[in-house]
Amino acid sequence: MKVLIIEDNQELARNIHDFLGREGYICESSETLEAAREKLSLFQYDCILLDIGLPDGNGIGLLNLIRSEYKNSNVLIISAKNALDDKIIGLEKGADDYITKPFHLAELHARIRAVYRRKNLDGTSVVAFNEISLNTDTFEARVGEVLLDTTPKEFDLLLYFLVNKNRVLSRQAIAAHLWGDYTDNLANFDFVYQHVKNLRRKISQAGGMDYIGTVYGLGYKFNSHKQG
Amino acid sequence: MGNKGIGMKLTTKFTLWYFGIMLVVLLIGGAIVYYEIQWKISRVEVVRHERLNDIIAGQIRAGGDFTGHPTRKRAIVSQIPADSVPKGVQTFYTRGIDWNPEFQTNEYRLLVTSFYTINGEHYRVTTYSFIPSFYQLLPGVVDSFKWILLVLLILVVISAGLISKYILAPFKRTLRVIQYFDLKQKAPIRLAATRTSEFRELNEFLEKMTEKAREDYQSLKEFTENASHELQTPTAIIRGKLDLLMESDIRDEQAILIAEMQNALERLSRIHSSLTLLTKLENREYEADAKVCISQLTRVTLDSFEELIQLKSLRLMTAVEEKVYVPMHPSLADLLLANLVSNAIRHNVPPGAGGVAGGGAAAGEGAGVAGGQGMDCGPAGPGGVGDQ
Repeated sequence: MKVLIIEDNQELARNIHDFLGREGYICESSETLEAAREKLSLFQYDCILLDIGLPDGNGIGLLNLIRSEYKNSNVLIISAKNALDDKIIGLEKGADDYITKPFHLAELHARIRAVYRRKNLDGTSVVAFNEISLNTDTFEARVGEVLLDTTPKEFDLLLYFLVNKNRVLSRQAIAAHLWGDYTDNLANFDFVYQHVKNLRRKISQAGGMDYIGTVYGLGYKFNSHKQG
Repeated sequence: MGNKGIGMKLTTKFTLWYFGIMLVVLLIGGAIVYYEIQWKISRVEVVRHERLNDIIAGQIRAGGDFTGHPTRKRAIVSQIPADSVPKGVQTFYTRGIDWNPEFQTNEYRLLVTSFYTINGEHYRVTTYSFIPSFYQLLPGVVDSFKWILLVLLILVVISAGLISKYILAPFKRTLRVIQYFDLKQKAPIRLAATRTSEFRELNEFLEKMTEKAREDYQSLKEFTENASHELQTPTAIIRGKLDLLMESDIRDEQAILIAEMQNALERLSRIHSSLTLLTKLENREYEADAKVCISQLTRVTLDSFEELIQLKSLRLMTAVEEKVYVPMHPSLADLLLANLVSNAIRHNVPPGAGGVAGGGAAAGEGAGVAGGQGMDCGPAGPGGVGDQ
């Protein structure tokens, strides 16, 4: 997947670049609207990460251009403002999703994949790894042929793990993913633990491999290299 | 209604003051007029009688009998010894009430006495006449002043109305504009031009002050947004770096350090977003511009927390009335409900019970309770949702 990161902060852009790079994504960055316009005219991107506040203008303006000229690209707005106006305008102008700083990179990745799935999978909305497959339309999780009895949050969690395979997912990142920004994520760590525990149990009971492991002190990891 | 009341008050005050001043002026004026007329009448009579006395003296000088002559009708002529003649005075007059035999009534009488020396003899000539009493004049004076007062009063009331309508019009317009002034409005206030210098000063002052207030508000708002931007970006960078660091080859003690940093970062980010939210609330950026269906929102919120409730082995009882609309900013409503429910869950102990009840009064005001048993935790009392 080819990603254009339009972000004036180099450090943040490099974080995203590094993280997505490990997924095998081809990332390019531009720090200004001007540079972004040039890149867009030369190359085609599957996904555009657009920061709203840029030194040479508001990113919303660029959104209009993208929607009229480069319809196939997904646009994910990155904003620090958390202002509702930006959010509504952004989504109205045709952005596919909206993420507020400070976000977890795994969360950003999950959002990129979700947007990509919605648009580019030609009707098949199944995320699969080995024996595990998730249908994001019907919210059905299967291990082999066995249908898992997952709750919506467990489904969400498993999808999060599958998208971020071999990544250490901190409890904060998981809590933020499952319950959003409003709730006090620190207080939800117990729930994260219980969700993960239940999920692992359900997968094992269905005969699946226990890919999800604990990373000491940090959180959890979906280990795709694990062998039975 | 409000501005009209204030305007009327001002003109009423002016009217009352003018009326008071008028009354004082008219009373003083009345007294002056009264004494002036009184003095003038006496003066005219005295001059007439002096002339009459001179004529009688002329008759004496000419000699002959003038008894029965019209000049002697109200005259007393007497020869007096030289020592009775007062020195330095040729004429004096006295006034007083006396019997008027012609009209058979007591009337005001003016006596003018003149002294003459004719052919070495000394004469005293006194003539008198009855003049209108000053007390008889008084009602006339009072009457005419009553009319003047009435005319003035009518004029003052009419002019007060006109002043209020025309002269105070710019002031009233200014008041109206100020009442509708909103810190958040994009354009500066526009006050109508006026030729009255005080109003012009007032308008200039108000324009300056409201513009300043607006600019201060804008810059505060921008500062909040910038502060948010400036702080969230580094936080995002640190969080990203930690995410990346976690995946590198690290030892257990380093993992603990990273986890602690993550926790601290989480707190920082949370405090920061709370502060930003508070500032925005104080800046009144979350005005209720539309009605939110709180019933729908409550169900959505409860759905998203359903699993937490199950995980904690809590029982949830709901009684949410349909279609309760509350005027509230949508994101505030969202935030409020999420916090209420998550607090109710967090401060509960298993096996507890939680109840959510929402009802709408006839006026469409919502009432809601989110409570928990086990550990008492009702973040919102009855009517909590609707009231907040």
